[in-house]
Amino acid sequence: MRGQTFLMRLLAGAALTALIFSASAWSQEDVENVRDSVFTETMRPAAVFPHDAHNAKAGIGDCAVCHHVVENGRPVEGETSEDRECSECHHGGKGWPMDVVRAYHQRCRGCHVERKAGPVTCAGCHPRR
Amino acid sequence: MHSLYAFLTGSMVWVSVLLFLGGSVYSLVSRAVMARKMDKMVYSYFSLHYALRSIFHWVIPYAARNWRLHPLFTFVTFTFHICLIWTPLVLFAHVGLFYEAWGFSWWFIPDLAGDVCAGLVLACCLFFLGRRLFLRDVRYLSTASDYVMLALVAAPYLTGMWAHRQWPGHETALLLHVFSGELLLALIPFTKLGHMLFFLFTRGYIGSEFGAVRHARDW
Repeated sequence: MRGQTFLMRLLAGAALTALIFSASAWSQEDVENVRDSVFTETMRPAAVFPHDAHNAKAGIGDCAVCHHVVENGRPVEGETSEDRECSECHHGGKGWPMDVVRAYHQRCRGCHVERKAGPVTCAGCHPRR
Repeated sequence: MHSLYAFLTGSMVWVSVLLFLGGSVYSLVSRAVMARKMDKMVYSYFSLHYALRSIFHWVIPYAARNWRLHPLFTFVTFTFHICLIWTPLVLFAHVGLFYEAWGFSWWFIPDLAGDVCAGLVLACCLFFLGRRLFLRDVRYLSTASDYVMLALVAAPYLTGMWAHRQWPGHETALLLHVFSGELLLALIPFTKLGHMLFFLFTRGYIGSEFGAVRHARDW
């Protein structure tokens, strides 16, 4: 009986720990790379992107800069899309990831060129480890 | 860095493409006009049938007798030309850039294959350099411009590999890669690289004369 209680406590503790860790694993502070479920076979190492540090440095406070919502070709004011993957809209069809790659490249590189800050070369974002 | 990158991947692309296309049209038209003035026989004897017959035999490895007489050189020159032209067109990084700019893409090769092909281009360039340096008759015919052209051809492949493999200084290598590629494209109509455009006509004319006049093969 005593052993059983201990086992129950251990399991509960493990479950709680797992919950805390899994929750923190998906929070934005821990985002270090660009990821999307369509990137099953990658051609390059994932782009380095420390979400919070990047946005603090770049002075980006408006989530909609990247997490925008577009309807009929126009951005919808006051709406954001953090709960969705980029590929939900930038999909291309047949799981072809080029559309989402293009969206990332144009968003990231376009802004870097415009602001003359941040990496613009291939290796700048996709360094080999 | 950012301004240079924006310039090289922006305005310079158009400058080099326009120089290539405009220069090609100009070079072909001016040579056609010159041939009409100086050597009208070119037009009288030109035959599409014999021209194509000759070109066909010369673009296939070992199909011409001269290719068979120089088996190593033939192997190297075909490897060189195939890798030189196809690698940039079917490289993932290039196809991806096309898709980002124009919204269309095509088949691409694995990166490792791209590295191998670029390596083959460079190895062939070294072979050609050695040939110019060590074969007496080739050295006699070589001028400074031949060596410069060889370096210019090798440059985009060397810097491309450098940038892709991320060797030290790869950011500069990428800028040099874009610039040397654009320079090479723009120089095609104005230098010996023009054989890319002219070989159809020079080979075609030789084929015509041999076929229609001498009733002989030229391969």
